Amino acid sequence: MKKILFLFFLGSISLFSQEKFTVSGTVYDNNNNETLIGVSIYFPELNAGTTTNEYGFYSITLPSGTHKIQVSYLGFTTINETLLLTEKITKNFKLIEESESLAEIVIEADIEKINVRSPQMSVNKLTSATIKKIPVVLGEADIIKSLILLPGVTSAGEGASGFNVRGGAADQNLILLDEAIVFNSSHLFGFFSVFNPDVIKDVKLYKGGIPARFGGRLSSVLDIYQKEGNSNEFNVTGGIGLVSSRLLIEGPIEKEKSSFVVAGRASYAHLFLPLFDNDNKAYFYDLNSKVNYRFNYKNNLFLSTYFGKDIFGISDSFVNEYGNTVVNLRWNHLFSDKIFSNLSLIYSDYFYGLTLDFVGFEWDSGITNFNLKYDFKHYLNENFKLSYGINNIYNKFNPGEILPNREDSGIQPEKLIDKYANEFAAYLEAEQKVSDNLTLQYGVRFSHFTRLGQDEINVYANNQPVIYNQQFKKYESAQATGTESFERSDALATFQNFEPRVSLSYALDDNTSIKASYNRMAQYLHLLSNTASPTPLDVWAPSGRFIDPQLLDQFAIGYFKSLKNGDYSLETEVFYKDIQNRIDYINGANLIANNEIETVILNGQARAYGLEVLFKKNEGRFTGFLAYTLARSEQQTLGRTATEPGINNGEWYSSPFDKTHDISINGSYELSKKWTFNANFLFQTGQPTNYPVGQYEIQGLNVPIFDDNRRNADRLPAYHRLDISATLTPEKNKNRKWKGEWVFGIYNLYGRENAASINFSQNRETLRNEAVQTSIFGLVPSVTYNFEF
Amino acid sequence: MMKKIILILIFAALFISCEKVVEIDVPSIEPKLIVDASFEIYFDENPLTAKNSVKLSLSADYFDEIIPPAIGATVFLTNLADNSIVTFSDVNSTGNYEPVNSFIPAENVEYELTIVYDNETYKGTAFRIKSTPLTNVEQGTETLFSGEETQLNIEFTDEVTIENYYLFDFTNNIFLTLEDRFFNGAIYNFSTFYQEDEIDLPTTVTIKMSGISRDYYTYFRILQGQSGQNGGGPFQTVPSSLLGNMINITNEENFPLGYFHISETDTFTLDLVELED
Repeated sequence: MKKILFLFFLGSISLFSQEKFTVSGTVYDNNNNETLIGVSIYFPELNAGTTTNEYGFYSITLPSGTHKIQVSYLGFTTINETLLLTEKITKNFKLIEESESLAEIVIEADIEKINVRSPQMSVNKLTSATIKKIPVVLGEADIIKSLILLPGVTSAGEGASGFNVRGGAADQNLILLDEAIVFNSSHLFGFFSVFNPDVIKDVKLYKGGIPARFGGRLSSVLDIYQKEGNSNEFNVTGGIGLVSSRLLIEGPIEKEKSSFVVAGRASYAHLFLPLFDNDNKAYFYDLNSKVNYRFNYKNNLFLSTYFGKDIFGISDSFVNEYGNTVVNLRWNHLFSDKIFSNLSLIYSDYFYGLTLDFVGFEWDSGITNFNLKYDFKHYLNENFKLSYGINNIYNKFNPGEILPNREDSGIQPEKLIDKYANEFAAYLEAEQKVSDNLTLQYGVRFSHFTRLGQDEINVYANNQPVIYNQQFKKYESAQATGTESFERSDALATFQNFEPRVSLSYALDDNTSIKASYNRMAQYLHLLSNTASPTPLDVWAPSGRFIDPQLLDQFAIGYFKSLKNGDYSLETEVFYKDIQNRIDYINGANLIANNEIETVILNGQARAYGLEVLFKKNEGRFTGFLAYTLARSEQQTLGRTATEPGINNGEWYSSPFDKTHDISINGSYELSKKWTFNANFLFQTGQPTNYPVGQYEIQGLNVPIFDDNRRNADRLPAYHRLDISATLTPEKNKNRKWKGEWVFGIYNLYGRENAASINFSQNRETLRNEAVQTSIFGLVPSVTYNFEF
Repeated sequence: MMKKIILILIFAALFISCEKVVEIDVPSIEPKLIVDASFEIYFDENPLTAKNSVKLSLSADYFDEIIPPAIGATVFLTNLADNSIVTFSDVNSTGNYEPVNSFIPAENVEYELTIVYDNETYKGTAFRIKSTPLTNVEQGTETLFSGEETQLNIEFTDEVTIENYYLFDFTNNIFLTLEDRFFNGAIYNFSTFYQEDEIDLPTTVTIKMSGISRDYYTYFRILQGQSGQNGGGPFQTVPSSLLGNMINITNEENFPLGYFHISETDTFTLDLVELED
C-alpha cells in the first residue's frame, strides 16, 4: 500500500511539474523601431504576464504548451497570437499605432490605463503626445507643467522653478534623464522646464512605493527616457512657437541596428525685455543627442548627451549664465534570456555663472558628479522577478568662486572651499506573485555616504556653529575657533542607511485592488534655499559634520478600480510621510557666497499627509481626468536645549509648499480627425506666506514687523485658472510626407490675476504703506505649429 | 514679414507680469517701543562734529498712517569706562532726544544707552566703529535695465588690518551695506544706480559712508530687505521679527525693536545732472 502511494505520488509530480521554458524579447513601435516601455505581455489562460522594462525588454518563464498571448500597449493595437512553447524562444513584437490602423474612429488614451495587479502604486505616467496636448502658457509643451495637473504635485506658482510632490521640497525630487541626474529642471527662472517634449519617450513620476533601484532623494523620482531615434527611416519633427522653436532629426545609421537622434530647442532672444534696447539678452537653448548601436540581440550600446543653458544679460554690466550638461554611456547586455543588465556611466554637471560689472566681479558655482550604475533584472520564473544592482556617485561641489572681472576692480579673488562626497548604494528587490490575488514587491537599498576630506573645515567652540543669544533672544552665527585640513582620501563623516521598500497589491477581483506600500529613503544632498522657490543661484551641500542626511518614512494605502473594461479608472490613495533632519535657517540667514553654511542652519523635522483621488476616462472621443488632493505639509524646528525657542517657538508650521486643496480637471475632446479640443482647470489653495503685524521707522526706512511665532501662518489668495487649446490637423496631411499641426491655445482664459507674491512696502510718492500683488501671467494666447516629415 | 512675426512674438511676451495694490487684512500687535539711535561722528571734518540723536517712537498697525512718537521718556548715555553720564532731552516733544551738552563719543569706549519709558527700562551698548574716507564719488554714464538709471561711481581705500563693514546712505532712504571680505585693503571702486523714480535730476545729493559693526551690518541688511527695497517674488526670503541690540530689562517679553549704534561717517556732496542720451 505504501509503495502504491509512493508511486502515485511520483506520478503526480511528473504529471504536474511540466517542463518550463522562457520566452523573451523586445517590443518595438512598428513605425520607427523605438522600443516601448511598459508594454503588457499577458497570457490569459495562465493568468500570467509581465511588462517590458525601460529598454523594451521582457522575459517570462512558462510551462510548455500552446498559449494565447496578448501584447497590449496604450494607443497601440493589441496583438493576439498563439504561441507554441516547446523550447526557449526569442520573440520580438512590433506594435502598430491605433491612429494608423483604424480608419474611422481614433481612440486616444491620455494617461496609462491602470495596472490593477501590479504592486507599484503612487506612480503616474505621461506620454509625449499627452504632454503636447495639454494647454500651457505661450504654447510651450512642458513636462513639469503637465505633472502639476496630477494629484499630489504642486508648484510654488508661475515663474517658480521645480515642483513639489506630496508636500516635499523641490530638492527632494530625483530627476533622471536617461538615468542621469539632472540638477536644474527649469529655464528662465522657472517659466519653462528643461525637457524638450519632442525627444521624450516616456515620463514616469513615482510619488511613493519607490522601488529600491532608486535612491538619494526623498519625495519622488521623475524618470524620463529619451527616444532612441527612428532606425527605419529619416524623420524630422519640429515646432515653431511663440517662445521657442524645436527641431528633431532622427534616422538610421545602419538600418535596424543603429540610429541617432539630435534635437535642439532655442528660445528667441530679447524675449522678456524691451525691444528697443539691443544690448539686452535673455534666452535659453537645449541640445539633446543620442546614438545607439545594437551589436546583436544580446548587446546594445547607447550614448546620450544633454546640454542646456540659460543666458540672461544687460549690456555688459550684468550677465547670468547657467545650465546642465549630461553625458551618459549605457550598455544593455543579456546574460541569458532571464537576466537583463544595464551598465551606465554618467557624467553630470550643473554650472552657474554671474558677472556683475558694476561691482567688479565674476561669480561661478556648481556641482559635478560621476555616476556608475550597474542594474540587473532577473526573471526567475513567472511568479518571481529579482532586481539588484549597485550605484556609486562621486560628487564635487563648487560652492562658489569670486574673481575680479576687470583690472581696476579692487575685488580680490576668493574661492569658497570645494566639497567632495561619495555615495554608494546596493539594492536587492523581489517582485513575487504569491497567489492569483496577491503580488508583493519587497527589497532593501543599502546606502553609504562618505563626506570626503576638503582643504579646510571650520572648528567651533563646543562644536556649535550656531549659538543662541539669550540676551537678544536670537540665533547667531558662531565665529570659527580654527580650521582643520584634510587629505581628499580622509573621511570627514560617514553615514549609512538601510532603506526597506515594501509594496503589495491585493486584487479583490479582475478590476479592483487594494495596494499598500512603505518606503524609507535617505537623502544626503541638500539644496540650500531659504526663498519661496529655488533659484538657479542656490547651491547644493553634502551632509557632513554639521548637516545630517534627511530620512523619510512613507506609508501609503490605496484603492484602485478599473471600470467598464478599463475605459474609466479610479485611483485613491492616502499617504503619511515623516522626515527627519529637514534643515531650516536662522532668521536673516545669508546663503549666498557663505563659506560657513553650518552657522545659519538649524535641524528640524517635517511631515506631510494627505488624500489623493484620480478619476480618469481613458477611452473614446472624450478623455480626461479629475484629480483632487487634500493634504498638509508641515515643519518643526525645536530648540536644541530647553532655553532655546527653535523656529516658530518650536511649534509645527506650514512648509512653504503646503497646499490644502489641489484640484485639477483636464479634458480632451476629439471632434473630428481635424479638430481636437483640450481644456484644463486648476485650483490650488494659496501658498503660505507671512503678513506684517505692524510697522515702524528706522533711519527713515519704513519697516514691516513680522512675528516669529506665526511663521507661514498667512496665505496668498487661492490660485486658479482655466486654459483651453485646439489642435488643427489639416486633412491634406493624410497622403503626404509633410504632416503639420496647429495648436492654438489660451492660457488663463478668464484672466485671473493669480498672486505670485504680495509685497508690503511704502509707496515712494504717497508715503503710504501698500500691499502690492505681483501676478505673472494674465490671459495669454498662443499658437504653435508642429511638423513632421 | 520676418520683422512682423518677431514683433508679434514680443507683443505676446509682454502680457507677462503685472502689479497691483490689493487690500489685505493684516494681524496686529500691542505697540512696541522703537529705538532709532544711530550716532554719526564726522571724523574727516575739522573740527570733529557728531550727530547723536535717539529717536523714539511706537510701532503701529501696518496700514496706519501715523507712527506715533514716544514722548516723555528718560534717556541717558553712560560711558562705561569712567561712568560719566550724558543726558538727552526731547525739547520739542517730537520723540527726538538730543544730548543736552554736545559731545563726541570716544574711541575704544563702551557706551550704554538707557531709556526709561512707560515705567519700563530699556538698555543697549555700543562702541564707536572706525571707518575710512570716501576718496571719490562721481556721476557715471552707464545704465541698467530700464536705461533711465543714474549711475554713481564710488571709490575708497579699505583698511587692511580689520574686518570692515560699511553702510552707505545715498539720500532718499536709499542704503547699501558692504563688507570688505572680497576687497580687504584694496582701493575699491564700484557703481550703484538710482532708479528713475528714486531721484529727480538735476539735484545735489550728499552721500554718507559709515563704518558699522558686523552685527549692525547683518541687522541692516535684513532690515533693508524687509522694508521692500530689495523686492519680493518667488525669491523672497522668510521675513523675521528682526530683533536689534536693545533689551527691555523690566519686562523681557515686551522687547523693543531698533538699534543703538555709533559710526564714524564721511560725507561727500555732489551735483547730479541730467545726461543727454
